[in-house]
Amino acid sequence: MKLLECPMNGVRPLSEFLFGGEYREMPDPDGSDDYEWAGYVHYRDNAPGVKKEWWYHGPSGTWFIAERNTLTDEVLKTYLFGKDPSGKDQTGSKPNKNQTTGTEQSI
Amino acid sequence: MTTPQTVMIRKTPVAYAQQALKPKMGELNGMEVALEFEGASVENARKQLLGVTDVSCFQRFSVKGPQAAAWLAAKGMNTPAAINSWDDAAPGTMILRLGGSEFLLEDQHSGDTCALLAKGFKQAEVAGVYKVQRADAAFILSGSEALDLLSELCMLDLRDSALGANAVVMTQVAGISATLLRQTLNGQQVYRIWCDGTYGPYMWDMLMEVAKELGGGAVGLSCHFKK
Repeated sequence: MKLLECPMNGVRPLSEFLFGGEYREMPDPDGSDDYEWAGYVHYRDNAPGVKKEWWYHGPSGTWFIAERNTLTDEVLKTYLFGKDPSGKDQTGSKPNKNQTTGTEQSI
Repeated sequence: MTTPQTVMIRKTPVAYAQQALKPKMGELNGMEVALEFEGASVENARKQLLGVTDVSCFQRFSVKGPQAAAWLAAKGMNTPAAINSWDDAAPGTMILRLGGSEFLLEDQHSGDTCALLAKGFKQAEVAGVYKVQRADAAFILSGSEALDLLSELCMLDLRDSALGANAVVMTQVAGISATLLRQTLNGQQVYRIWCDGTYGPYMWDMLMEVAKELGGGAVGLSCHFKK
């Protein structure tokens, strides 16, 4: 049985979670040009590696960030949005339909 | 000319699943509830071995938001400090802290705190506190085999070390999202389960199926609460 640690509820079976897509920094909607914005919306880099991802714990309704190596499927750490224990804070938005797959954009 | 006042009695969310058992029904808090299934002696024995009781009729009140804890404290409620824990909010009323800023209060049979809070809550007058509509199916699992039942339906280890005396666990039971805790009721350790009311009949069926395998079965509300 695969396990994942929810930062609010502890270690739980993976079946209690939903994948919410990769977390990607959203460019400033007012300050970015069409090329940059289109890249954010449409382009994905599927190269395996350590990614930040949105995950959702269904029974408690908790969205959180998991840093996962998509090559080895090893989860390095999980934390609530904006509460990265390493101190690197996020400034982006919650997941939307444009954030269902992929990695950091690179166009 | 006066119109006769109609009193609406709601059905418990698990009414459909209980029909075949032909329970003796009663009414509590405006909801029909199964008081007795097979007589006091049978149900008292089940209660000690493995009993499943529908308590969806208990009154509930839920709020969330950044000011929810402060608002409840201002109303005189004892709010648990730790996330995912529960306590007595007031005599006869339990309060569950669901995550950081959401609270569920439930009157235990005789309490009326939830009704008073609901009556006094005016959304427009309270900033940072939001009422959460609840439509739970709620159950009491009692008896020495209750943990064995849960071990068949839940992937978590719910023994004492995992489900502490005041711990609230939000997990899946029989594949659906549920909230669990352990409490002492009339001197007996029991487990409580809440799930969405629309899953009530399914949850009842699943609990009953395993309970019967383990020698238990349905227990009416009057077996736990005499009045």
